[in-house]
Amino acid sequence: MTGKLYEMTANLGGFVTGIFAAALSLFSIAMRTFRGVFRFRGRAQGEVLKQMYLIGNRSLIFVTVTLGALGMVLVFQVCLQINKITGDQSQVGPEFIKGMIHAFVPILTAMMLATRVGAGIAAETGSMVVTEQIDALRMTGVDPVDFILVPRFIASVVMTFVLGVYAMVIVIVAGAFMAHSSFGVNYNVFFVFDKVTGGDLFIGSLKLIVHGGAIPIVAGYCGLTTGRGSEGVGNATTRAVINSSLAVIIIDFIISGVGLLTVQKI
Amino acid sequence: MITLKNVSCKMSGKQILDGITATFNKGEIWGIIGPPGCGKSMLMKLICGLYPVTDGDLYIESENIAGMSEVRLVPVRRKIGMLFQNNALFDFMNVWENVAFPLSRMNSGLSPEEIRLKAFERLKAVGLGGSEEKMPSELSGGMRKRVGVARAIITEPPVIIYDEPTAGLDPVTTSKIYDLLNEIQSRSQSVVLTISSDIIGLRSFVKNILFINEGKILYCGPEQEIDHCTDPVVYQFLRGLDEGPL
Repeated sequence: MTGKLYEMTANLGGFVTGIFAAALSLFSIAMRTFRGVFRFRGRAQGEVLKQMYLIGNRSLIFVTVTLGALGMVLVFQVCLQINKITGDQSQVGPEFIKGMIHAFVPILTAMMLATRVGAGIAAETGSMVVTEQIDALRMTGVDPVDFILVPRFIASVVMTFVLGVYAMVIVIVAGAFMAHSSFGVNYNVFFVFDKVTGGDLFIGSLKLIVHGGAIPIVAGYCGLTTGRGSEGVGNATTRAVINSSLAVIIIDFIISGVGLLTVQKI
Repeated sequence: MITLKNVSCKMSGKQILDGITATFNKGEIWGIIGPPGCGKSMLMKLICGLYPVTDGDLYIESENIAGMSEVRLVPVRRKIGMLFQNNALFDFMNVWENVAFPLSRMNSGLSPEEIRLKAFERLKAVGLGGSEEKMPSELSGGMRKRVGVARAIITEPPVIIYDEPTAGLDPVTTSKIYDLLNEIQSRSQSVVLTISSDIIGLRSFVKNILFINEGKILYCGPEQEIDHCTDPVVYQFLRGLDEGPL
């Protein structure tokens, strides 16, 4: 009995210590990344542009199809329910646009990028760990965070924002098309931006920027802490997708809460 | 040049190295041998400061690197050229960029064009003239090793570490690689530490041997005298016997 209790306590202690160590390591990588951004001075512009292409351009079709379809489905369901109750579709467009800008588009865009970009960063970094390329970098006096994560961080922040704005356009246009074609809602009635406040724009933009920064940091942490062999790289990639999605959800929750209490009007 | 005083290393609660004491002087060529998983590569990574020393002191020239921060380790690491077990060539750079990388990262006072020319010259010296623009994925195993060697020596470091320089290579290429390493050593007079499972090839290259088993030194001395070592593990390992403690 005492032995089992001791074992359970030891396991719990190990688990808590492990979480604390992981949090500390993640924090250290985040700090080194921020410091790296300030020291950047354009010495790896080519790498940033390449990453911007990989993150942004390569995600365009993914974002267009997913968010376009989602916008149409959402508007269809909302119009369908309103038709059953009042039949007044005049508020569908303004409310839909407001909700998309401050809540849905930032989190959905970030979640999609967390799967595509996060997995890519973790797999690339993880392979470099397994093949000792990270050790080879350290041997030349290069900080792997500085060399690998900083260009991806800058590219991800910029491209998540750009893709988010693009996704907003796509989702709103797709929604308007569905409302018009299925329920006869006039485009002039749908495209009303009166309900969108400066607070909504600020919160939407802030979420895109913070999510864009969180994805490479979390994915990079998973990649840099890869275990041995190809199995280790596989695990790192899975962890990157799960953890960066989770990070996006938690950050979104916090910013939404703070936003509603401060700059936003419900 | 390199002095280890009672160096120990623990990872995830497991003792990898235990009380290692040795000195490697300028111009000496050492072979580090022992059964798989005995701690050879870990010892090399401790010397490079890639893993922390748990206990003891490790001096590179006069600096004790035990407990040194990552920032303070940067100039120490620049004194060491390393050929990694899997070559560790950067797969996003071509051959000459790989070789030039360590030089471009230190304040060598050379212009980018001079660095490029030096990388080309080193590649020619290892028999890879004409392959400068190729990517690592386009090279054979032997060629990749040569690129790794060229990268390890381009900064002319006082310490050179070769981790399995001939692993997976045919006997002819192995012989060529050892000739190349000998030629480099005759010019540089660096401390050379070589890990290899190819005992015969290694013994033709090194002058001294450090034998490690289960994290402890079993033999440390001249290469010619290891045959007289009476330790049963060393005896069995060197002769490749089936029966014995291993």
